[in-house]
Amino acid sequence: MPAKYLVHTSPAANRFEPITKSGIIAWEEGCLKCAVCVKKRCVYKVYEKRGLNPRQMIDSIDNLCMNCLRCVQGCPRELIHKSISPEYAAMGDDYWSPDIISKIWYQAQTGKIPVSGAGYPGPFSGPGFDSMWTDMSEIVRPTRDGIHGREYISTAVDLGGTEGALCFGEDGLVSGPEIRLLDIPLPILLRMPVSRKISPNIISGWAVAAKRLGTFLAVGAEEMVAAPESCRPFLMPILDGEVACPEGVRVVESTFSAEKDANSFKSGNDARFVCLRLPMNTGIEERVLAAARAGFSIIHIEASPNGSFLDDPGKTMKDGIRAVHLGLVEAGIRDSVTIIVSGGIAMAEHVPKSLICGADAVFVDLALLVALECRLCGRCDMDLPCPVEMDKAPPPWVAKRVVNLIGAWHNQLLEIMGAMGIRDARRMRGEAGRAMFFEELDKSTFQDLGRREEGCEIE
Amino acid sequence: MSLDWVPVVAVFYCKNVPGGGEEERHAIEKRYKGSARLYPIPCSGRLDAIHLLKALEEFADGAYVVTCPHGSCRYFEGNSWAAKRLETVRRLIESIGLEGARVGMVAESSEEPIDLSILTGEFINSISKIGPSPVLKS
Ligand code: SF4
Ligand code: SF4
Repeated sequence: MPAKYLVHTSPAANRFEPITKSGIIAWEEGCLKCAVCVKKRCVYKVYEKRGLNPRQMIDSIDNLCMNCLRCVQGCPRELIHKSISPEYAAMGDDYWSPDIISKIWYQAQTGKIPVSGAGYPGPFSGPGFDSMWTDMSEIVRPTRDGIHGREYISTAVDLGGTEGALCFGEDGLVSGPEIRLLDIPLPILLRMPVSRKISPNIISGWAVAAKRLGTFLAVGAEEMVAAPESCRPFLMPILDGEVACPEGVRVVESTFSAEKDANSFKSGNDARFVCLRLPMNTGIEERVLAAARAGFSIIHIEASPNGSFLDDPGKTMKDGIRAVHLGLVEAGIRDSVTIIVSGGIAMAEHVPKSLICGADAVFVDLALLVALECRLCGRCDMDLPCPVEMDKAPPPWVAKRVVNLIGAWHNQLLEIMGAMGIRDARRMRGEAGRAMFFEELDKSTFQDLGRREEGCEIE
Repeated sequence: MSLDWVPVVAVFYCKNVPGGGEEERHAIEKRYKGSARLYPIPCSGRLDAIHLLKALEEFADGAYVVTCPHGSCRYFEGNSWAAKRLETVRRLIESIGLEGARVGMVAESSEEPIDLSILTGEFINSISKIGPSPVLKS
Protein backbone atom coordinates (compact mmCIF):
# COMPACT_ATOMS: atom_id res chain seq x y z
CA MET A 1 0.00 0.00 0.00
CA PRO A 2 1.50 3.39 -0.91
CA ALA A 3 2.20 5.85 1.88
CA LYS A 4 -0.76 7.87 3.05
CA TYR A 5 -1.15 11.03 1.01
CA LEU A 6 -1.16 14.19 3.07
CA VAL A 7 -1.29 17.78 1.93
CA HIS A 8 0.80 19.95 4.21
CA THR A 9 -0.88 23.30 4.64
CA SER A 10 0.21 26.38 6.54
CA PRO A 11 -1.56 29.73 6.90
CA ALA A 12 -0.94 32.19 4.05
CA ALA A 13 -2.15 35.65 5.07
CA ASN A 14 -4.30 37.76 2.78
CA ARG A 15 -2.47 40.54 1.00
CA PHE A 16 -5.59 42.69 1.03
CA GLU A 17 -8.45 43.03 3.45
CA PRO A 18 -11.14 40.62 2.31
CA ILE A 19 -14.55 42.04 1.47
CA THR A 20 -17.00 40.86 4.06
CA LYS A 21 -20.64 40.07 3.56
CA SER A 22 -22.13 42.69 5.78
CA GLY A 23 -21.18 46.06 7.12
CA ILE A 24 -22.16 47.86 10.30
CA ILE A 25 -24.04 51.10 10.05
CA ALA A 26 -23.78 52.81 13.41
CA TRP A 27 -24.40 56.45 14.08
CA GLU A 28 -23.86 58.68 17.06
CA GLU A 29 -26.73 61.07 16.37
CA GLY A 30 -29.62 60.47 18.74
CA CYS A 31 -27.44 58.50 21.15
CA LEU A 32 -28.84 58.34 24.68
CA LYS A 33 -25.39 57.99 26.21
CA CYS A 34 -26.39 54.87 28.13
CA ALA A 35 -24.27 54.05 31.16
CA VAL A 36 -22.91 50.96 29.40
CA CYS A 37 -23.16 51.23 25.63
CA VAL A 38 -23.78 48.02 23.67
CA LYS A 39 -20.68 48.86 21.70
CA LYS A 40 -18.59 48.42 24.83
CA ARG A 41 -20.13 45.02 25.41
CA CYS A 42 -19.04 43.54 22.09
CA VAL A 43 -17.05 40.46 23.08
CA TYR A 44 -14.80 40.84 20.04
CA LYS A 45 -14.03 44.46 20.93
CA VAL A 46 -14.92 45.44 17.40
CA TYR A 47 -15.66 49.08 18.18
CA GLU A 48 -12.64 49.57 20.40
CA LYS A 49 -10.28 48.24 17.76
CA ARG A 50 -11.88 50.24 14.95
CA GLY A 51 -9.53 51.43 12.23
CA LEU A 52 -9.63 52.24 8.55
CA ASN A 53 -7.53 50.74 5.79
CA PRO A 54 -7.05 53.86 3.68
CA ARG A 55 -5.70 52.01 0.65
CA GLN A 56 -8.89 50.01 0.26
CA MET A 57 -11.19 52.26 2.34
CA ILE A 58 -12.25 49.19 4.32
CA ASP A 59 -13.44 49.83 7.84
CA SER A 60 -12.12 47.28 10.32
CA ILE A 61 -15.51 47.08 12.07
CA ASP A 62 -16.79 45.12 9.09
CA ASN A 63 -13.95 42.60 9.06
CA LEU A 64 -13.71 42.03 12.80
CA CYS A 65 -17.44 41.67 13.43
CA MET A 66 -18.60 38.10 13.93
CA ASN A 67 -22.25 38.87 13.18
CA CYS A 68 -23.64 37.93 16.56
CA LEU A 69 -26.01 40.92 16.19
CA ARG A 70 -25.87 41.60 19.91
CA CYS A 71 -25.16 45.28 19.43
CA VAL A 72 -27.86 45.61 16.76
CA GLN A 73 -30.49 44.13 19.03
CA GLY A 74 -29.25 45.80 22.19
CA CYS A 75 -29.21 49.49 21.28
CA PRO A 76 -32.40 51.04 22.77
CA ARG A 77 -32.56 53.73 20.08
CA GLU A 78 -31.87 51.25 17.26
CA LEU A 79 -28.91 53.26 16.08
CA ILE A 80 -26.95 50.23 14.90
CA HIS A 81 -27.81 48.33 11.74
CA LYS A 82 -26.15 45.66 9.67
CA SER A 83 -26.44 45.69 5.92
CA ILE A 84 -25.11 43.64 2.99
CA SER A 85 -21.99 45.28 1.63
CA PRO A 86 -22.53 46.44 -1.98
CA GLU A 87 -18.99 45.45 -2.93
CA TYR A 88 -19.62 41.94 -1.63
CA ALA A 89 -22.87 41.58 -3.51
CA ALA A 90 -21.16 42.71 -6.73
CA MET A 91 -18.51 39.98 -6.69
CA GLY A 92 -18.60 37.17 -9.25
CA ASP A 93 -21.89 36.16 -10.85
CA ASP A 94 -24.85 33.84 -10.27
CA TYR A 95 -22.68 30.73 -10.38
CA TRP A 96 -19.47 32.02 -8.79
CA SER A 97 -21.46 33.59 -6.01
CA PRO A 98 -19.94 35.91 -3.39
CA ASP A 99 -20.37 33.10 -0.86
CA ILE A 100 -18.35 30.65 -2.96
CA ILE A 101 -15.66 33.26 -3.56
CA SER A 102 -15.29 34.15 0.12
CA LYS A 103 -15.17 30.47 1.11
CA ILE A 104 -12.35 29.86 -1.38
CA TRP A 105 -10.47 32.81 0.13
CA TYR A 106 -10.86 31.33 3.58
CA GLN A 107 -9.62 27.91 2.50
CA ALA A 108 -6.66 29.36 0.61
CA GLN A 109 -5.75 31.44 3.64
CA THR A 110 -6.07 28.77 6.31
CA GLY A 111 -6.00 25.39 4.53
CA LYS A 112 -9.00 24.46 6.68
CA ILE A 113 -12.51 23.31 5.91
CA PRO A 114 -15.00 26.20 6.24
CA VAL A 115 -17.62 25.53 8.88
CA SER A 116 -20.95 27.25 8.50
CA GLY A 117 -22.53 26.37 11.81
CA ALA A 118 -25.47 24.15 12.64
CA GLY A 119 -28.02 23.45 9.96
CA TYR A 120 -28.07 24.31 6.31
CA PRO A 121 -29.88 27.54 5.48
CA GLY A 122 -29.72 27.28 1.69
CA PRO A 123 -32.35 26.14 -0.78
CA PHE A 124 -33.42 22.48 -0.93
CA SER A 125 -32.25 21.99 -4.47
CA GLY A 126 -30.85 24.02 -7.34
CA PRO A 127 -29.53 23.63 -10.86
CA GLY A 128 -26.56 21.44 -11.81
CA PHE A 129 -24.55 19.89 -9.00
CA ASP A 130 -26.95 21.41 -6.47
CA SER A 131 -29.60 18.93 -7.56
CA MET A 132 -27.67 15.92 -6.36
CA TRP A 133 -27.02 14.56 -2.90
CA THR A 134 -24.42 12.00 -2.00
CA ASP A 135 -25.26 9.00 0.11
CA MET A 136 -23.90 9.62 3.61
CA SER A 137 -25.14 6.36 5.15
CA GLU A 138 -21.78 5.46 6.64
CA ILE A 139 -21.57 8.68 8.59
CA VAL A 140 -23.22 6.88 11.53
CA ARG A 141 -20.16 4.70 11.88
CA PRO A 142 -17.23 6.85 12.93
CA THR A 143 -14.13 4.73 12.57
CA ARG A 144 -11.89 4.19 15.53
CA ASP A 145 -9.01 6.12 14.07
CA GLY A 146 -10.96 8.59 12.01
CA ILE A 147 -10.56 9.22 8.32
CA HIS A 148 -7.82 11.76 8.92
CA GLY A 149 -6.05 9.39 11.30
CA ARG A 150 -4.83 5.87 10.65
CA GLU A 151 -7.71 4.79 8.48
CA TYR A 152 -6.59 4.49 4.90
CA ILE A 153 -8.63 6.09 2.17
CA SER A 154 -6.97 6.34 -1.22
CA THR A 155 -7.74 9.35 -3.35
CA ALA A 156 -5.26 8.33 -6.08
CA VAL A 157 -6.47 8.00 -9.67
CA ASP A 158 -4.81 6.84 -12.90
CA LEU A 159 -4.55 8.80 -16.10
CA GLY A 160 -4.48 6.67 -19.21
CA GLY A 161 -6.36 3.63 -20.48
CA THR A 162 -6.23 -0.06 -19.74
CA GLU A 163 -7.09 -2.99 -21.98
CA GLY A 164 -10.50 -4.57 -21.68
CA ALA A 165 -8.99 -7.97 -20.90
CA LEU A 166 -5.57 -9.44 -20.25
CA CYS A 167 -4.02 -11.65 -22.96
CA PHE A 168 -1.75 -14.54 -22.10
CA GLY A 169 0.89 -15.99 -24.36
CA GLU A 170 1.96 -19.59 -24.88
CA ASP A 171 4.30 -19.30 -21.92
CA GLY A 172 1.46 -18.35 -19.63
CA LEU A 173 2.76 -14.83 -19.17
CA VAL A 174 0.78 -11.69 -19.87
CA SER A 175 1.32 -10.66 -23.46
CA GLY A 176 -0.10 -7.86 -25.54
CA PRO A 177 0.60 -4.14 -25.35
CA GLU A 178 2.11 -2.76 -22.19
CA ILE A 179 -0.33 -0.85 -20.02
CA ARG A 180 0.96 2.62 -19.25
CA LEU A 181 -0.64 4.81 -16.64
CA LEU A 182 0.16 8.07 -14.91
CA ASP A 183 -0.69 7.94 -11.26
CA ILE A 184 -1.75 11.10 -9.41
CA PRO A 185 -2.49 11.12 -5.69
CA LEU A 186 -5.78 13.00 -5.92
CA PRO A 187 -8.41 13.41 -8.63
CA ILE A 188 -7.65 17.12 -9.03
CA LEU A 189 -5.45 18.69 -11.69
CA LEU A 190 -4.68 22.39 -11.90
CA ARG A 191 -5.31 24.43 -15.00
CA MET A 192 -4.48 27.93 -16.07
CA PRO A 193 -7.74 29.77 -16.96
CA VAL A 194 -6.99 30.31 -20.64
CA SER A 195 -9.38 33.21 -21.05
CA ARG A 196 -7.26 35.44 -18.82
CA LYS A 197 -3.84 36.95 -19.00
CA ILE A 198 -1.80 35.41 -16.23
CA SER A 199 1.49 36.86 -15.02
CA PRO A 200 4.67 34.72 -15.05
CA ASN A 201 4.84 35.00 -11.23
CA ILE A 202 1.53 33.26 -10.87
CA ILE A 203 2.38 30.53 -13.39
CA SER A 204 5.55 29.88 -11.46
CA GLY A 205 3.66 29.65 -8.16
CA TRP A 206 1.02 27.33 -9.62
CA ALA A 207 3.72 25.06 -11.07
CA VAL A 208 5.37 24.77 -7.65
CA ALA A 209 1.97 23.98 -6.13
CA ALA A 210 1.37 21.23 -8.74
CA LYS A 211 4.73 19.71 -7.87
CA ARG A 212 4.05 19.88 -4.14
CA LEU A 213 0.66 18.26 -4.60
CA GLY A 214 2.06 15.67 -7.00
CA THR A 215 -0.47 16.53 -9.71
CA PHE A 216 -0.32 18.38 -13.04
CA LEU A 217 -0.73 21.98 -14.11
CA ALA A 218 -2.13 22.43 -17.60
CA VAL A 219 -0.56 25.59 -18.92
CA GLY A 220 -0.21 27.36 -22.27
CA ALA A 221 2.92 26.33 -24.16
CA GLU A 222 4.08 29.96 -24.25
CA GLU A 223 3.40 30.63 -20.58
CA MET A 224 5.14 27.51 -19.34
CA VAL A 225 8.60 29.04 -19.67
CA ALA A 226 7.84 30.96 -16.47
CA ALA A 227 7.70 27.72 -14.45
CA PRO A 228 10.86 26.57 -12.65
CA GLU A 229 12.78 23.84 -14.46
CA SER A 230 12.31 21.38 -11.59
CA CYS A 231 8.52 21.55 -12.05
CA ARG A 232 8.59 20.43 -15.70
CA PRO A 233 7.45 16.85 -15.06
CA PHE A 234 4.35 18.29 -13.40
CA LEU A 235 3.33 20.48 -16.32
CA MET A 236 0.87 19.60 -19.05
CA PRO A 237 1.52 22.05 -21.91
CA ILE A 238 -1.56 23.00 -23.92
CA LEU A 239 -0.48 22.66 -27.53
CA ASP A 240 -3.04 24.55 -29.57
CA GLY A 241 -1.96 24.74 -33.18
CA GLU A 242 1.34 23.54 -34.50
CA VAL A 243 3.54 24.16 -31.50
CA ALA A 244 6.60 22.02 -30.93
CA CYS A 245 6.28 19.77 -27.94
CA PRO A 246 8.48 21.01 -25.09
CA GLU A 247 11.10 18.72 -23.57
CA GLY A 248 10.83 17.10 -20.17
CA VAL A 249 7.05 16.81 -19.89
CA ARG A 250 5.12 13.58 -19.41
CA VAL A 251 1.77 14.60 -20.87
CA VAL A 252 0.53 17.21 -23.33
CA GLU A 253 -2.93 18.51 -24.10
CA SER A 254 -4.07 18.93 -27.65
CA THR A 255 -7.20 19.83 -29.59
CA PHE A 256 -6.90 17.26 -32.32
CA SER A 257 -10.04 16.25 -34.11
CA ALA A 258 -11.33 12.89 -33.07
CA GLU A 259 -11.04 11.56 -36.63
CA LYS A 260 -7.28 11.44 -36.34
CA ASP A 261 -5.95 8.84 -34.04
CA ALA A 262 -3.68 9.30 -31.09
CA ASN A 263 -0.78 7.50 -32.73
CA SER A 264 -0.69 9.83 -35.71
CA PHE A 265 -0.23 12.68 -33.28
CA LYS A 266 2.62 10.97 -31.55
CA SER A 267 4.08 10.06 -34.96
CA GLY A 268 6.76 7.80 -33.68
CA ASN A 269 7.36 10.34 -30.94
CA ASP A 270 8.20 9.14 -27.47
CA ALA A 271 6.27 7.77 -24.57
CA ARG A 272 4.40 10.99 -23.89
CA PHE A 273 0.74 10.84 -23.02
CA VAL A 274 -1.68 12.89 -25.05
CA CYS A 275 -4.76 14.44 -23.48
CA LEU A 276 -7.37 15.35 -26.05
CA ARG A 277 -9.50 18.39 -25.34
CA LEU A 278 -13.11 18.36 -26.50
CA PRO A 279 -15.66 21.12 -25.87
CA MET A 280 -18.74 20.04 -23.93
CA ASN A 281 -21.26 20.64 -26.69
CA THR A 282 -24.44 18.82 -27.59
CA GLY A 283 -23.54 15.34 -28.78
CA ILE A 284 -20.39 15.18 -26.68
CA GLU A 285 -21.00 11.51 -25.85
CA GLU A 286 -20.60 10.49 -29.51
CA ARG A 287 -17.46 12.54 -29.93
CA VAL A 288 -15.90 11.03 -26.82
CA LEU A 289 -16.75 7.54 -28.10
CA ALA A 290 -15.16 8.30 -31.45
CA ALA A 291 -12.05 9.70 -29.79
CA ALA A 292 -11.74 6.73 -27.45
CA ARG A 293 -12.05 4.35 -30.40
CA ALA A 294 -9.39 6.35 -32.25
CA GLY A 295 -6.98 5.52 -29.45
CA PHE A 296 -7.00 8.59 -27.20
CA SER A 297 -6.64 7.40 -23.65
CA ILE A 298 -7.05 10.71 -21.80
CA ILE A 299 -9.88 13.03 -22.75
CA HIS A 300 -10.49 16.44 -21.26
CA ILE A 301 -14.04 17.72 -21.60
CA GLU A 302 -14.25 21.44 -21.22
CA ALA A 303 -17.53 22.90 -19.96
CA SER A 304 -18.28 26.59 -19.47
CA PRO A 305 -17.00 28.35 -16.35
CA ASN A 306 -20.57 28.24 -15.09
CA GLY A 307 -20.79 24.46 -15.28
CA SER A 308 -22.97 24.24 -18.38
CA PHE A 309 -22.62 23.11 -21.98
CA LEU A 310 -20.68 25.56 -24.14
CA ASP A 311 -23.36 25.65 -26.82
CA ASP A 312 -26.40 25.43 -24.56
CA PRO A 313 -26.38 27.17 -21.17
CA GLY A 314 -29.56 25.30 -20.27
CA LYS A 315 -27.73 21.96 -20.06
CA THR A 316 -25.50 21.35 -17.08
CA MET A 317 -22.12 19.62 -17.07
CA LYS A 318 -23.47 17.12 -14.53
CA ASP A 319 -25.76 15.66 -17.20
CA GLY A 320 -23.01 15.88 -19.83
CA ILE A 321 -20.62 13.82 -17.70
CA ARG A 322 -23.27 11.20 -16.97
CA ALA A 323 -24.10 10.82 -20.67
CA VAL A 324 -20.42 10.45 -21.59
CA HIS A 325 -19.79 7.90 -18.87
CA LEU A 326 -22.84 5.81 -19.70
CA GLY A 327 -22.01 5.94 -23.42
CA LEU A 328 -18.56 4.51 -22.73
CA VAL A 329 -19.92 1.88 -20.35
CA GLU A 330 -22.47 0.72 -22.90
CA ALA A 331 -19.78 0.50 -25.56
CA GLY A 332 -17.72 -1.62 -23.16
CA ILE A 333 -14.69 0.67 -23.34
CA ARG A 334 -14.99 2.71 -20.15
CA ASP A 335 -11.63 1.56 -18.82
CA SER A 336 -9.74 2.34 -21.98
CA VAL A 337 -10.10 6.06 -21.40
CA THR A 338 -9.71 8.60 -18.58
CA ILE A 339 -12.20 11.45 -18.52
CA ILE A 340 -11.13 14.75 -16.97
CA VAL A 341 -13.69 17.54 -16.79
CA SER A 342 -13.15 21.26 -16.38
CA GLY A 343 -15.24 24.41 -15.98
CA GLY A 344 -17.54 25.16 -13.10
CA ILE A 345 -15.51 23.32 -10.47
CA ALA A 346 -15.98 25.95 -7.79
CA MET A 347 -16.47 24.05 -4.55
CA ALA A 348 -14.95 21.03 -2.86
CA GLU A 349 -18.20 19.11 -3.29
CA HIS A 350 -18.03 19.50 -7.07
CA VAL A 351 -15.06 17.10 -7.12
CA PRO A 352 -16.82 14.02 -5.66
CA LYS A 353 -20.02 14.94 -7.49
CA SER A 354 -18.20 15.00 -10.84
CA LEU A 355 -16.66 11.63 -9.99
CA ILE A 356 -20.01 10.14 -9.06
CA CYS A 357 -21.41 11.37 -12.37
CA GLY A 358 -18.65 9.48 -14.14
CA ALA A 359 -15.50 11.61 -14.46
CA ASP A 360 -12.13 10.21 -13.39
CA ALA A 361 -10.69 13.55 -12.35
CA VAL A 362 -11.34 17.28 -12.59
CA PHE A 363 -9.39 20.35 -13.62
CA VAL A 364 -9.58 23.31 -11.27
CA ASP A 365 -9.13 26.61 -13.07
CA LEU A 366 -10.88 29.82 -12.01
CA ALA A 367 -10.75 28.75 -8.36
CA LEU A 368 -6.95 28.97 -8.62
CA LEU A 369 -7.29 32.69 -9.31
CA VAL A 370 -9.88 33.16 -6.59
CA ALA A 371 -7.44 31.49 -4.17
CA LEU A 372 -5.19 34.47 -4.89
CA GLU A 373 -7.90 36.87 -3.68
CA CYS A 374 -9.36 37.47 -7.15
CA ARG A 375 -12.87 38.89 -6.84
CA LEU A 376 -13.95 37.82 -10.32
CA CYS A 377 -14.86 41.45 -10.81
CA GLY A 378 -13.82 41.40 -14.46
CA ARG A 379 -11.94 44.69 -14.15
CA CYS A 380 -8.82 43.18 -15.71
CA ASP A 381 -10.80 42.38 -18.87
CA MET A 382 -11.72 46.05 -19.10
CA ASP A 383 -8.16 47.32 -18.52
CA LEU A 384 -9.09 48.78 -15.15
CA PRO A 385 -6.64 48.45 -12.28
CA CYS A 386 -6.95 45.16 -10.39
CA PRO A 387 -8.14 45.78 -6.82
CA VAL A 388 -5.81 43.07 -5.50
CA GLU A 389 -2.79 43.83 -7.71
CA MET A 390 -2.77 40.30 -9.05
CA ASP A 391 0.43 40.84 -11.07
CA LYS A 392 2.40 41.50 -7.91
CA ALA A 393 1.52 38.25 -6.14
CA PRO A 394 4.84 36.60 -5.16
CA PRO A 395 5.29 32.97 -6.38
CA PRO A 396 5.92 31.37 -2.95
CA TRP A 397 2.70 32.93 -1.63
CA VAL A 398 0.81 31.80 -4.74
CA ALA A 399 2.03 28.22 -4.25
CA LYS A 400 1.08 28.22 -0.59
CA ARG A 401 -2.42 29.55 -1.21
CA VAL A 402 -3.13 26.96 -3.90
CA VAL A 403 -1.76 24.10 -1.80
CA ASN A 404 -3.97 25.31 1.06
CA LEU A 405 -7.07 25.38 -1.11
CA ILE A 406 -6.47 21.95 -2.62
CA GLY A 407 -5.52 20.61 0.82
CA ALA A 408 -8.87 21.78 2.20
CA TRP A 409 -10.69 20.28 -0.79
CA HIS A 410 -8.81 17.02 -0.36
CA ASN A 411 -9.89 16.84 3.27
CA GLN A 412 -13.49 17.43 2.24
CA LEU A 413 -13.16 14.69 -0.36
CA LEU A 414 -11.98 12.37 2.41
CA GLU A 415 -14.95 13.41 4.56
CA ILE A 416 -17.42 12.62 1.80
CA MET A 417 -15.73 9.34 0.87
CA GLY A 418 -15.61 8.34 4.52
CA ALA A 419 -19.29 9.16 4.92
CA MET A 420 -20.15 7.19 1.78
CA GLY A 421 -18.04 4.25 2.88
CA ILE A 422 -15.91 4.38 -0.26
CA ARG A 423 -12.25 3.76 0.35
CA ASP A 424 -10.83 4.37 -3.11
CA ALA A 425 -11.50 7.34 -5.38
CA ARG A 426 -11.36 5.07 -8.44
CA ARG A 427 -14.37 3.21 -7.03
CA MET A 428 -16.32 6.39 -6.85
CA ARG A 429 -16.37 6.89 -10.60
CA GLY A 430 -19.87 6.52 -11.94
CA GLU A 431 -21.30 5.39 -8.60
CA ALA A 432 -24.56 7.15 -9.41
CA GLY A 433 -26.41 4.57 -7.32
CA ARG A 434 -24.78 6.08 -4.24
CA ALA A 435 -26.29 9.48 -4.93
CA MET A 436 -29.76 10.90 -5.29
CA PHE A 437 -30.74 13.14 -8.16
CA PHE A 438 -33.51 15.64 -7.67
CA GLU A 439 -35.00 15.26 -11.15
CA GLU A 440 -35.24 11.50 -10.76
CA LEU A 441 -36.72 11.67 -7.27
CA ASP A 442 -39.18 14.31 -8.38
CA LYS A 443 -40.27 12.17 -11.28
CA SER A 444 -40.56 8.93 -9.37
CA THR A 445 -42.45 10.55 -6.50
CA PHE A 446 -44.78 12.96 -8.22
CA GLN A 447 -45.08 11.78 -11.80
CA ASP A 448 -48.23 9.80 -11.11
CA LEU A 449 -49.95 12.59 -9.24
CA GLY A 450 -52.92 13.94 -11.13
CA ARG A 451 -52.96 11.01 -13.54
CA ARG A 452 -56.16 9.02 -13.72
CA GLU A 453 -56.11 5.27 -13.95
CA GLU A 454 -58.58 3.82 -16.41
CA GLY A 455 -61.67 2.54 -14.65
CA CYS A 456 -60.84 4.20 -11.34
CA GLU A 457 -62.80 7.40 -11.85
CA ILE A 458 -65.07 8.37 -9.00
CA GLU A 459 -68.65 8.35 -10.17
CA MET B 1 0.19 74.12 -10.46
CA SER B 2 2.26 71.42 -12.09
CA LEU B 3 1.21 70.55 -15.63
CA ASP B 4 1.14 66.82 -15.14
CA TRP B 5 -1.17 66.98 -12.16
CA VAL B 6 -4.20 64.74 -12.46
CA PRO B 7 -6.99 65.52 -10.04
CA VAL B 8 -8.17 62.57 -7.96
CA VAL B 9 -11.56 62.55 -6.30
CA ALA B 10 -12.97 60.01 -3.89
CA VAL B 11 -16.69 59.55 -4.35
CA PHE B 12 -18.63 57.74 -1.65
CA TYR B 13 -22.09 56.90 -2.82
CA CYS B 14 -25.06 55.11 -1.46
CA LYS B 15 -25.62 51.95 -3.49
CA ASN B 16 -29.23 52.95 -4.02
CA VAL B 17 -28.51 56.13 -6.04
CA PRO B 18 -29.21 56.15 -9.81
CA GLY B 19 -26.26 54.76 -11.79
CA GLY B 20 -24.83 53.22 -8.62
CA GLY B 21 -24.56 49.65 -9.94
CA GLU B 22 -21.31 47.76 -10.38
CA GLU B 23 -21.31 47.96 -14.18
CA GLU B 24 -21.85 51.69 -14.09
CA ARG B 25 -19.00 51.94 -11.61
CA HIS B 26 -16.65 50.21 -14.04
CA ALA B 27 -17.81 52.49 -16.85
CA ILE B 28 -17.20 55.61 -14.75
CA GLU B 29 -13.72 54.49 -13.72
CA LYS B 30 -12.88 53.73 -17.31
CA ARG B 31 -14.15 57.09 -18.46
CA TYR B 32 -12.26 59.17 -15.91
CA LYS B 33 -9.20 56.89 -15.75
CA GLY B 34 -7.36 57.30 -12.46
CA SER B 35 -9.24 60.49 -11.53
CA ALA B 36 -12.25 58.80 -9.99
CA ARG B 37 -12.08 56.42 -7.05
CA LEU B 38 -15.52 55.13 -6.28
CA TYR B 39 -16.67 53.59 -3.03
CA PRO B 40 -20.17 52.19 -2.83
CA ILE B 41 -21.53 52.20 0.71
CA PRO B 42 -24.63 50.43 1.98
CA CYS B 43 -26.04 53.69 3.31
CA SER B 44 -24.62 57.19 3.32
CA GLY B 45 -25.25 57.28 7.08
CA ARG B 46 -22.48 54.73 7.29
CA LEU B 47 -20.03 57.43 6.34
CA ASP B 48 -17.84 58.72 9.10
CA ALA B 49 -15.73 61.87 9.15
CA ILE B 50 -12.70 59.60 9.23
CA HIS B 51 -13.47 58.17 5.77
CA LEU B 52 -13.37 61.60 4.14
CA LEU B 53 -10.36 62.76 6.13
CA LYS B 54 -8.37 59.61 5.40
CA ALA B 55 -9.13 59.88 1.70
CA LEU B 56 -7.93 63.51 1.69
CA GLU B 57 -4.84 62.56 3.62
CA GLU B 58 -3.87 59.53 1.53
CA PHE B 59 -4.71 60.11 -2.10
CA ALA B 60 -7.61 62.42 -2.90
CA ASP B 61 -7.69 66.09 -3.84
CA GLY B 62 -11.37 66.10 -3.00
CA ALA B 63 -13.87 63.80 -1.32
CA TYR B 64 -17.56 63.80 -2.11
CA VAL B 65 -20.66 62.02 -0.99
CA VAL B 66 -23.75 61.20 -3.03
CA THR B 67 -26.81 60.25 -1.02
CA CYS B 68 -30.38 59.22 -1.65
CA PRO B 69 -33.02 61.95 -1.80
CA HIS B 70 -33.96 63.51 1.54
CA GLY B 71 -36.65 61.52 3.26
CA SER B 72 -36.10 58.33 1.26
CA CYS B 73 -33.21 56.80 3.16
CA ARG B 74 -33.70 53.05 3.60
CA TYR B 75 -32.40 53.49 7.13
CA PHE B 76 -34.67 56.52 7.73
CA GLU B 77 -32.20 59.27 8.58
CA GLY B 78 -28.84 58.11 7.31
CA ASN B 79 -28.52 60.81 4.68
CA SER B 80 -29.37 63.69 7.03
CA TRP B 81 -26.72 62.50 9.42
CA ALA B 82 -24.22 62.22 6.61
CA ALA B 83 -24.84 65.91 5.92
CA LYS B 84 -24.05 66.82 9.51
CA ARG B 85 -20.84 64.84 9.46
CA LEU B 86 -19.82 66.49 6.23
CA GLU B 87 -20.20 69.90 7.83
CA THR B 88 -17.94 68.77 10.67
CA VAL B 89 -15.31 67.67 8.17
CA ARG B 90 -15.59 70.93 6.27
CA ARG B 91 -15.01 72.95 9.45
CA LEU B 92 -12.07 70.76 10.33
CA ILE B 93 -10.28 71.06 6.99
CA GLU B 94 -10.96 74.79 6.84
CA SER B 95 -9.36 75.18 10.25
CA ILE B 96 -6.14 73.66 8.91
CA GLY B 97 -6.22 75.93 5.87
CA LEU B 98 -7.68 73.68 3.19
CA GLU B 99 -10.46 74.88 0.92
CA GLY B 100 -13.85 73.86 2.26
CA ALA B 101 -14.98 73.02 -1.27
CA ARG B 102 -12.70 70.00 -1.30
CA VAL B 103 -15.50 68.12 0.38
CA GLY B 104 -19.12 68.16 -0.69
CA MET B 105 -22.35 66.31 -0.73
CA VAL B 106 -25.08 65.88 -3.30
CA ALA B 107 -28.46 64.55 -2.32
CA GLU B 108 -30.18 63.00 -5.31
CA SER B 109 -33.62 64.32 -6.09
CA SER B 110 -36.46 61.88 -6.59
CA GLU B 111 -37.97 63.92 -9.45
CA GLU B 112 -34.87 64.56 -11.51
CA PRO B 113 -32.14 62.16 -10.53
CA ILE B 114 -28.69 62.93 -11.89
CA ASP B 115 -26.55 60.03 -13.00
CA LEU B 116 -23.53 59.23 -10.88
CA SER B 117 -21.32 59.47 -13.93
CA ILE B 118 -22.31 63.11 -14.52
CA LEU B 119 -21.88 63.99 -10.86
CA THR B 120 -18.40 62.45 -10.84
CA GLY B 121 -17.47 64.57 -13.86
CA GLU B 122 -18.67 67.68 -12.02
CA PHE B 123 -16.64 66.79 -8.92
CA ILE B 124 -13.50 66.38 -11.03
CA ASN B 125 -14.16 69.73 -12.72
CA SER B 126 -14.56 71.59 -9.49
CA ILE B 127 -11.36 70.07 -8.07
CA SER B 128 -9.49 70.96 -11.27
CA LYS B 129 -10.45 74.57 -10.59
CA ILE B 130 -9.29 74.49 -6.98
CA GLY B 131 -5.98 72.80 -7.83
CA PRO B 132 -3.83 70.10 -6.22
CA SER B 133 -4.22 69.44 -2.54
CA PRO B 134 -1.31 70.77 -0.49
CA VAL B 135 -1.74 67.82 1.86
CA LEU B 136 -0.70 65.31 -0.78
CA LYS B 137 2.36 67.31 -1.85
CA SER B 138 4.08 66.59 1.40
S1 SF4 C 1 -22.68 42.23 15.82
FE1 SF4 C 1 -21.67 41.27 17.60
S2 SF4 C 1 -19.53 41.01 16.93
FE2 SF4 C 1 -20.47 42.45 15.55
S3 SF4 C 1 -19.99 44.44 16.43
FE3 SF4 C 1 -22.02 43.88 17.19
S4 SF4 C 1 -21.62 42.89 19.15
FE4 SF4 C 1 -19.66 42.94 18.05
S1 SF4 D 1 -9.21 42.66 -11.83
FE1 SF4 D 1 -8.11 41.37 -10.35
S2 SF4 D 1 -9.65 40.76 -8.89
FE2 SF4 D 1 -10.77 41.51 -10.67
S3 SF4 D 1 -11.13 39.69 -11.93
FE3 SF4 D 1 -9.22 40.56 -12.63
S4 SF4 D 1 -7.62 39.48 -11.46
FE4 SF4 D 1 -9.57 39.13 -10.41
